[in-house]
Amino acid sequence: MAVRLRAVNISTETRLSTGTVATRRLGALAIVMLTVLAVLALIISPEDVNQGSTVRIMYVHVPTIWVAYMAFILTAVCSATYLSGRNRSLGWDRVAGASAEIGVLFVALSLLTGSLWGRITWGTYWVWDARLTSTAFLFITYIGYLAVRRLDGTQRQRARRSSVLALLAVLEIPLVHFSVRLWRSLHQEASVATGGTDVELDDLMLFSLFFGLAAFSVLFVWLLLHRQRMLYLEDAMSSQGLDAAIEARRKEAVR
Amino acid sequence: MDLTPRPSDDVAATPRRKRRWLPMTLIAASLIGGGVVVTQFLTSAIDYYCNVDEIGVREGCDSDRRVRVQGVVEQGSVRKEDGATVFTLGFNGKTLDVTYQGDPGGIFQECISVVAHGRIAAAGFDSDRIEVRHSNQYVEKNETRIDESNEEAAACSLLVE
Repeated sequence: MAVRLRAVNISTETRLSTGTVATRRLGALAIVMLTVLAVLALIISPEDVNQGSTVRIMYVHVPTIWVAYMAFILTAVCSATYLSGRNRSLGWDRVAGASAEIGVLFVALSLLTGSLWGRITWGTYWVWDARLTSTAFLFITYIGYLAVRRLDGTQRQRARRSSVLALLAVLEIPLVHFSVRLWRSLHQEASVATGGTDVELDDLMLFSLFFGLAAFSVLFVWLLLHRQRMLYLEDAMSSQGLDAAIEARRKEAVR
Repeated sequence: MDLTPRPSDDVAATPRRKRRWLPMTLIAASLIGGGVVVTQFLTSAIDYYCNVDEIGVREGCDSDRRVRVQGVVEQGSVRKEDGATVFTLGFNGKTLDVTYQGDPGGIFQECISVVAHGRIAAAGFDSDRIEVRHSNQYVEKNETRIDESNEEAAACSLLVE
């Protein structure tokens, strides 16, 4: 993933690419795992007795919302670390921002795949039940979070504002997850994380689902590494503008 | 040292102006969207349906208003009448005859839980929308284990919650 830096001369020590040997290997691993997942989901795993092949959407739908939850929790953890840290490194804020961006993308994918599954299974693309409504609210909240990150201000102001918001927004996740238990919902309850020992999936389906969770988790880490490095470069470019302004004023003062 | 930005024809100033209104617009849209979701949909989302046995009994499940009724499609009750689908919904020992104009979508079948939208009428329940509730159980379709003759019955036992 290369970054265009022609317009700004960032210090020579700064990388011109967000890739490293490690991220390239991680990316290759993600590709292999996603390919295996596709084979598992589309060919090897069986049809459901009732849904038929529609069940295969689950192998993308569940991992995408899993990644979104993980991303938003990471955003909150990094935000809390930034607010509580002594040196308040902006690196925490950049990881938080990158993670939230990926989370929003994956919530959107989850809503899309869930909607397709719903059309075939429920008979409708969308219902305003507890799970879907709370997920839509979660999606909107994090779009707002990303917008707040783009408001004018210094990088420290951005970090402070968005960290506070991230700590509030993450409280929605338990609400979304347990909405199907707390209230009457068209969306079914969890099949795996049931709170008990019962697992409501057949063996091969369960394996495919867990493999999907692992594959999408690797993809998330890969995306996160690249994206937070891009945010670092954006911040560096922005700082360079300020440095140039200070330098220009200094030269004027000398005259 | 004065660092006040100076007026400039620099092209770099253009994207900065764009940046100001875009996040503000997104924040406004998020607030409005969030507000609409909370005020318009959250109340009904929390109590998405009434069970068949709660009609006319539970608050919000009055028989003289539009309701969403949840129950299990009774085995052997589904039939077609003049383009309408007629079936019996049962839950907790109570039943309700439902008439739906057309074919219900989704994986509608006997022994499955559905939510019917509509009103109580003289002859039962007039529904204009059917949503199928899928349980959280996922079971392999295995031709060798469950032959076609008993597959339906097996599915029925699996899907009734």
